[in-house]
Amino acid sequence: MMSFFNSYTPLLELALFNALLAFSQYVVLRAGVFSLGTAAFAALGAYAAAIMVTKLGMPAWLGLIAAVGLGTVAGALVAVPLARLRGVFQALATLALVQIVLSITLNWVDVTEGALGINSIPKTIGLFGMFCAVAVVTYLMSAMGSTSIGRAFDIIREDETVAVSLGISVPKHHMIAFILSGAIAGLAGGLHAYTSYSITPNEYGFNMLVMVLAMVVLGGRVSVWGPIVGAVVLTALPELLRGLQEYRTVVQGALLMLSIIFLPRGVADTLIGTLRRRRITLASTKAKAVTI
Amino acid sequence: MKALVLDDIARSFGGLPAVDGVSLTAPAGRITGLIGPNGAGKTTVVNMITGLLKVTRGRILVGDEDVTEADAPMLARAGVARTFQNIRLIGDASVLDNVVAGFHRHEKVGTLANLLGLPSAVRERRELENKASALLERFGMTGLAKHPAGSLSYGHQRRIEMMRALAMDPAVLLLDEPVAGMNDTEAHSLADIFRSVAQQGVAILLIEHNMRFVMSLCQHIYVLASGQLIAEGDPDAVGQNPKVIEAYLGA
Ligand SMILES: Nc1ncnc2c1ncn2[C@@H]1O[C@H](COP(=O)(O)OP(=O)(O)O)[C@@H](O)[C@H]1O
Ligand SMILES: [Mg+2]
Repeated sequence: MMSFFNSYTPLLELALFNALLAFSQYVVLRAGVFSLGTAAFAALGAYAAAIMVTKLGMPAWLGLIAAVGLGTVAGALVAVPLARLRGVFQALATLALVQIVLSITLNWVDVTEGALGINSIPKTIGLFGMFCAVAVVTYLMSAMGSTSIGRAFDIIREDETVAVSLGISVPKHHMIAFILSGAIAGLAGGLHAYTSYSITPNEYGFNMLVMVLAMVVLGGRVSVWGPIVGAVVLTALPELLRGLQEYRTVVQGALLMLSIIFLPRGVADTLIGTLRRRRITLASTKAKAVTI
Repeated sequence: MKALVLDDIARSFGGLPAVDGVSLTAPAGRITGLIGPNGAGKTTVVNMITGLLKVTRGRILVGDEDVTEADAPMLARAGVARTFQNIRLIGDASVLDNVVAGFHRHEKVGTLANLLGLPSAVRERRELENKASALLERFGMTGLAKHPAGSLSYGHQRRIEMMRALAMDPAVLLLDEPVAGMNDTEAHSLADIFRSVAQQGVAILLIEHNMRFVMSLCQHIYVLASGQLIAEGDPDAVGQNPKVIEAYLGA
């Protein structure tokens, strides 16, 4: 048992890191915001955390606060100019943000060490720390989901005209979504810096952006299980397909495409929907049996 | 108790007038009719009142408040509620959740409490669900509370639209063809509900294509054709007006 954990610890840590990133992506998609900013917010968090510890000699817990804080502020700042944009325009604007952050981390060498990245960051966070972070974020997301905010997110995503007609403020809820996305990704980045010894700019680029988006699309964007399922599957898949070597990415891409075609709502949301329908049919047949 | 007053409102699309100078009053506690053939501009009037469309001319008043410049969320918070002619529900969400959504303007618990799942947020959710259940009971839909709204019949979906609008506890209620596609029995049971809502002091503007239904419900009816009011008055006067007959037969 112990040796299983030891050999799989890096993979489990990666899965938990991915789950946090997926939550950051999930929260904006749930609110109907097509933001791709998660990679940028995560980079800001990772660099804030790494710099706090390696350059400023601060303790790791302060570094994590800085990571979450920077992600939050970045999310809030992005939300303001983007309030009027929708759909593909939001995607393009947040993609630009990813590129801006990438060029800062690459070129501000004095602070970020450029393309080499920041190395020899002390490992202060382990599997347990990652697990706690995911547990807390999962709790917050499910609390949010079952109350006013989650409901407003769902209505805005499905039909903005209905949302405004019910008195729901779209800019306010897009702002909340961006702030949460920034805060969660900032936390993810900070934790990643403290688990992986080193960070480099390119980790937080286009690859991450696509992978994170795929996790939420694959898993589902309504239930909190969606991002978790997506993160676990897309972390495990490359390992399971290791034997295929150079065909790995092709197979992975094809699987993703199939799942999007056949389960457009994502694995978790489809499954939950099916179970709910089955429960309703069961309940109504029982009710009929009673009246007869 | 607030009345809805439209003062010479107009709207054009790409230079073509869709609504061209409509003035009407829907007093509190009454059901006022707005009828007219397809394409007359009825839905455009509703969209202007609810702030989804800006007027190109004229004023809109709710009570003594000028709301001409208000946007849709402001109007909703001021107590203007509507149903949609082309049914707009969250199809995947349950009937109960669709109705609970209507209570948004009455929610008091703050963002942070909601996010942290504090007891106040949980309590508020339970209260709203109880209120929504009471509405479901009134509309005879208690057994369907957990069903996805999109899976239900047309008549049921229209009723959910009604309940969501009533959940807003409106001062002004705009019903855009609320019984379209329903059979007579279903329409009559809704008519009873409209009457009792009006009795509570709500100003109802009932938009209908079906003249007979409006005539049985309204003391005062306005008739719209090609964006302009061509007649108004009590059901008998409107029904015998040659211009009205022509507009309906011509359409
Ligand atoms: N968003 C829009 N863009 C362009 N034309 C519109 C729009 N909405 C309505 N119209 C036009 O305005 C006229 C009135 O439409 P509408 O208000 O829907 O009529 P009604 O509800 O009485 O059937 C129609 O000719 C319609 O084509
Ligand atoms: Mg219409």
